[in-house]
Amino acid sequence: MSSAQIEIQLIASLVAIACAIPGTFLVLRKMAMISDAISHSILPGIVIGFFITQDLNSPLLILLAALTGVITVVLVEYIQKTGLVKEDTAIGLVFPVLFSIGVLMIAKKANDVHLDIDAVLLGELALAPFDRLLISGVDVGPKSLWIIGSILCITVLLLLAFFKELKLSTFDKGLAASLGFSPAIIHYGLMTVSSITTVGAFDAVGAILVVALMIAPAASAYLLTTDLKKMLILSIIFGVLSAISGYWFAHWLDASIAGSITTMLGVLFLIVYLFAPSKGIIAVLYREKQQRIEVSLLTFLLHLKNHDDENERHVNHLNEHINWQKVRSKIVLDLALKNNMIMIDDSIVFLTPKGDKFTTQAIDYIITNEDAQIEGMKDDFFLFRG
Amino acid sequence: MDIQEYFSLVFSDYTLRTITLGTAILGAVTGMLGSFAVLRKQSLLGDAISHAALPGIAISFLITGAKDSNTLLLGALVSGLIGTFWIRGIISKTHLKSDTALGLILSLFFGFGMLLLTFIQKQPNANQAGLDKYLFGQAATLIESDVWMMAIVTGICLFVLLLFWKEFKILLFDKDYAKTLGFNTKAIDILITSFIVLAIVLGLQTVGVVLMSAMLLAPAAAARQWTNSLATMVFLAAIFGAFSGVFGTAISASQDNLSTGPVIVLVAAVFVFVSFVFSPSRGLLFKQIRFIKNRRDLQLHKTLSFMYNIAETHDDISHPHEIKILNNFHGFTKGTLKKLVDKNYVILEGSTWSLTNDGFKTALNLYNQLTKKDE
Repeated sequence: MSSAQIEIQLIASLVAIACAIPGTFLVLRKMAMISDAISHSILPGIVIGFFITQDLNSPLLILLAALTGVITVVLVEYIQKTGLVKEDTAIGLVFPVLFSIGVLMIAKKANDVHLDIDAVLLGELALAPFDRLLISGVDVGPKSLWIIGSILCITVLLLLAFFKELKLSTFDKGLAASLGFSPAIIHYGLMTVSSITTVGAFDAVGAILVVALMIAPAASAYLLTTDLKKMLILSIIFGVLSAISGYWFAHWLDASIAGSITTMLGVLFLIVYLFAPSKGIIAVLYREKQQRIEVSLLTFLLHLKNHDDENERHVNHLNEHINWQKVRSKIVLDLALKNNMIMIDDSIVFLTPKGDKFTTQAIDYIITNEDAQIEGMKDDFFLFRG
Repeated sequence: MDIQEYFSLVFSDYTLRTITLGTAILGAVTGMLGSFAVLRKQSLLGDAISHAALPGIAISFLITGAKDSNTLLLGALVSGLIGTFWIRGIISKTHLKSDTALGLILSLFFGFGMLLLTFIQKQPNANQAGLDKYLFGQAATLIESDVWMMAIVTGICLFVLLLFWKEFKILLFDKDYAKTLGFNTKAIDILITSFIVLAIVLGLQTVGVVLMSAMLLAPAAAARQWTNSLATMVFLAAIFGAFSGVFGTAISASQDNLSTGPVIVLVAAVFVFVSFVFSPSRGLLFKQIRFIKNRRDLQLHKTLSFMYNIAETHDDISHPHEIKILNNFHGFTKGTLKKLVDKNYVILEGSTWSLTNDGFKTALNLYNQLTKKDE
């Protein structure tokens, strides 16, 4: 591995961490699309900043562009507040307009300078190690590394300093406000950090990857845990993992590093989405099936309890009475037998004392409108689940 | 070329005519379908779909090796639909919220698409140039067959829209009611979403992946401000969209170095801005005017009721009082007093005022009657 390769991976990893932290909060606060809007609408800020400073890495440009990001948020909120359109429409209106202005400014003015839209959208991570930061003639490393490193430091410091406030205002806005933490300050603070991170990272990895790095690791982590700290750590791990594997994938394929990191993030999310233990799609579908059968079982037991007539409880008549198909009736009957809820005597179905007890309790919960309690009961009564 | 020249050339010049027609039709169809997206609160879905279409373009190029726009758009359609249904899957089956799902699919698909595009660019056969026009769109590459394609799709959209108008409308405003009436809401939902995807894919070549969502939203958001009727809104949105297309093309053709897509978006944004400010019933300007007028009326009422309270203590309601006893706190200004005189509620004599019978009655009923004919 050459030193340039190590530097690229280092930059990519730092960007991943710097994005994962605000990203986690954006996902939790249901503002993920704001990051997309910011990533697009910083373009005019970057262009104006570039006209002034003539340097894509200058801190002034980063501040100007971050300001555009915050302006986007303010504009979206203003439009939303007028009540003329809904929030999502407001987002969808603001950022294409700002982006268009940026594109036109580039087309009009910056044709002859090094600033093209592809670079803004995609970045060129492969070139990042060649832009060195020289301090009094001594080469101290690539500029992007320093920029994203300082942004990361600030983000981590802010996170440590305001973790409690952030956590509280994310999960219980009302309580946070009543305890005296201004929701507005936290909100705009988060927006500013997201904007600065987006701007700082765009040069290295491009606007789209920033969005992916903010949302995808956090979304994957969200499916795996319900603990904020664990979620933060997991999303950082996911981000770094995809950054490094994405780099090598791009190396092998000889294609855009940013695109390849995003693809890795996508693969990672797909795996988590499918296989996450309790929130993954397979687990969810399995649970839904289980619950469907268990609800059928309950219906069946209630039916048995309500009818003393042998006619109604004959095995062969059951599907007519409850209007189920044969297969389903058989599954439910087997489950009930396995759990000792019923006995079958001479093709007539009886409730066992255990089944009777279960049904009585369930009815109690149903008539008092506490259906959710039934779920807890199942652990006590069921030997086998549906 | 200036704008006048453009309009004189638009009917004779092949390229200009094609582009203008294309953008106009595109604007109309996206405006039409965008109305549904906006009303269903799916505005950002368009953004996600247009980004999600990119890998489809790249993959269909990789498979066929041809740059025929219809093949590429077919790929875009498939991958846009996959993206859309994945978003729905994420929202309905996991804990992730809709904004996360949208942002995820948008960025992941787009990143994957960019990976494929850069991969294609490194390939030895040099046929790949021009695929990146789908990023920002290039109206100049429109040819007559593309326009025909758009026209046909628009025709189908219009036909389906008219055929299922009732179903779309009821699904839009009262989904549960539609369900109880026995409509297959899922099928209608899928139908309308697919049409939205189709409209977006059609626009990719002209406006590009990044800005396509604005084409969908802006005309609809503008049209929404002028009407409360769905039919009128769809119609208006189509008109706004078409005009944005035509004006955008005209402006970008009359200047050097202006790409059509962003200009069209900006023109559409102007429509939105004008609608937001000047719409008679919802617009900000008239809202503000109404607000000020209401405040003035309130001041007037306050003054009148203060006068009433004083007059009440006298046997003769028209007993004159000094103007000085009226104060600002009760909303008194010279203007309000003059208005009261104009309305014949008050008579001024020198430095005194007195309530008239009319004024006394109005003040008496001020807070009893909610509807006043004179306010």
